[in-house]
Amino acid sequence: MLTIENLHATVDGKEILKGLNLTVPEGEVHAVMGPNGSGKSTLAHVLAGRPGYAITAGTVRFKGRDLLALSPEERAREGLFLGFQYPVEIPGVNNVYLLKAAVNAARKHRGLAEVDAFEFLTLVRDKMRLMRMDESMLSRGVNEGFSGGEKKRNEILQMLVLEPSLAVLDETDSGLDIDALKVVASGVNTLRAPNRSLVLVTHYQRLLEHIVPDRVHVLVNGRIVRSGDRTLALELERRGYDWLIGEAA
Amino acid sequence: MSTAVLTRLKEEYGAARAALPGSVIDAHRRSEAIETLCAQGLPTGREENWRYTNLRVLERARFTPAQASAEVLPTLPEPLTGFARYVFVAGRLRSLATAPHGVTVRSLLSGGPADGAWRIASELPEARLALLNEAFATDAACIEARPEADHAGIELVFLAAAGADSGASYPRVRLALGSGARLTVVERHIGVGEASSLVNSAVRVELGPNAHLTHYRLQQCAARTAWFDTLTAELAADARYDLLAVGTGALASRSTVHARLTGRAAQLTLSAAALGAAQQSQDMYALSEHLAARTSTVQTFRGIASDRSRVAFNGKIAVRAQAAGTDSRQSLRGLLAGAQAEIDLRPQLEIYTDEVRCSHGATAGKLDENMLFYLLSRGIAPELAQHLLKWAFLEDVVAKIELPQLRRQIEHGLAGQMSEAVALKELL
Ligand SMILES: Nc1ncnc2c1ncn2[C@@H]1O[C@H](COP(=O)(O)OP(=O)(O)O)[C@@H](O)[C@H]1O
Ligand SMILES: [Mg+2]
Repeated sequence: MLTIENLHATVDGKEILKGLNLTVPEGEVHAVMGPNGSGKSTLAHVLAGRPGYAITAGTVRFKGRDLLALSPEERAREGLFLGFQYPVEIPGVNNVYLLKAAVNAARKHRGLAEVDAFEFLTLVRDKMRLMRMDESMLSRGVNEGFSGGEKKRNEILQMLVLEPSLAVLDETDSGLDIDALKVVASGVNTLRAPNRSLVLVTHYQRLLEHIVPDRVHVLVNGRIVRSGDRTLALELERRGYDWLIGEAA
Repeated sequence: MSTAVLTRLKEEYGAARAALPGSVIDAHRRSEAIETLCAQGLPTGREENWRYTNLRVLERARFTPAQASAEVLPTLPEPLTGFARYVFVAGRLRSLATAPHGVTVRSLLSGGPADGAWRIASELPEARLALLNEAFATDAACIEARPEADHAGIELVFLAAAGADSGASYPRVRLALGSGARLTVVERHIGVGEASSLVNSAVRVELGPNAHLTHYRLQQCAARTAWFDTLTAELAADARYDLLAVGTGALASRSTVHARLTGRAAQLTLSAAALGAAQQSQDMYALSEHLAARTSTVQTFRGIASDRSRVAFNGKIAVRAQAAGTDSRQSLRGLLAGAQAEIDLRPQLEIYTDEVRCSHGATAGKLDENMLFYLLSRGIAPELAQHLLKWAFLEDVVAKIELPQLRRQIEHGLAGQMSEAVALKELL
């Protein structure tokens, strides 16, 4: 699904990703963990195609294609989804309109007709119930006045409606209380499928109790310094990141 | 402004004067208006409050009123349900309606008691183009709402003449609301054809105690029109004036609004949205003069400049010594959507008393990169994403349109001006 080789990326001339390698096979859930400032969000943004990052070396293949050659909107239409660590508020752009425009953009890309308005609303309402979101949020501006937790749930709602092949969720667990975390986790789990992959970017292993990963990677100082199974997350919980930072240096 | 234009203006007036209707404005006042205007001179870019106006178009303008031709009316906007519609062609009333209960609508051209005493020009130099209207006006709509008028609706459609050679048009309106009257007025300025012409409109608003006027003004003139507009208003005690202006048309557009809040606790809300594209210039100067205690002004402006256009809003709040307890808020925002576009926002405050609450903010910037990327990351095409954000930007003004039917029309107008964003239709 996703193969990253020797990825180097800089922001304002400062190198953040320094030769990152990561492979996420189809159907698997991978966690990327690491201390603050290690480059997790940078990786997520680079994958989604955010402007402002210079890729100085390396390749990224997504479903066999050169991901870096695609524009952000093409990546999304091809089935890449980024759940933002800090989702932006867009007052005046209606949530449901955004959802519909996003779904139709992907459908058009696949040569399908626009989604039926009634079916679409039914689907969105179903997913909202799953995410324990109030329907009134649909008619509000995108994330407008949403609490931190509501924003994260809205990200997952969008993911559930768009059904991406690869979702990169950047700290979707941060700022959630335990109940909200469970709701988010169960939402994410409904999407697990043999033809779909997930990358969970997180600082804590808490989320991984609810969404059990196939692999865990540790990102330190712009590189994956260690990979393992889910027990690696538990080890990180016990020992912290310091021992790996030492190794990475 | 060159003296050549003034000379031509006087000549044109001299040639036209005999045919100008005395029932609208008597000959003496017309001559006086021309004299005063010529003495003061036409506005120039050296004047602070005309700096951002495209005044060059005045040099080419023909001032002589266009003939009221028998040309067929173009398709007019769908009439608003519950509104009495009056259509003016080249400044003359063309179609009459039945006025709502408590409201009188008169065309001064078609007779009735002469009513020439009202003036639109104030002593304000920014309002002096109303003198041009006073000199050349071919008709005037005189609308009076008596106290029993309750939520009545009037729609005024001003259709400019087609061609430059056919001359200018001079829409002229007086809106007078008696004590406690309530009225909604929709005023549209539209045009036909591509040819350039001058539209010089002048509107006088007089609100009695506790009267409430909701006034929508839509400038959708033809692409090469020069629209120079002056509105003066006087608000008595507890009067409320909700003015909402949307400008999308014309090549050069300038509107001057001078509101005097003379009665205690009078309230003014001025909400304006302007879109500039291609070579358009959209300029507005709004002065809110607080002359009594506990008066309030809320000014909201949202402007988007695309391509090589220029959008300007100059909003001044003046609080005189006797206006203790004044509350004023100003929120001016501009969005630059073209590398060669220009936005000029000037919030001005002039306060002569301590006891006031005034807040103002003015920001001009580009589309928010984070918002844009968020939309792209959901698969939305860049053009649509930009349109959505521009749309959202105007929301603060558009949301204030209380009539759903009018709001839809305005939204369609805005979407149309924002170009062929087909997908935006879904939004409406
Ligand atoms: N625009 C920027 N300019 C300069 N440095 C940046 C910028 N954005 C992020 N960084 C730096 O890049 C590093 C990695 O940031 P980030 O990817 O957000 O880390 P994480 O998500 O792992 O906490 C940090 O040191 C951060 O300060
Ligand atoms: Mg981060």
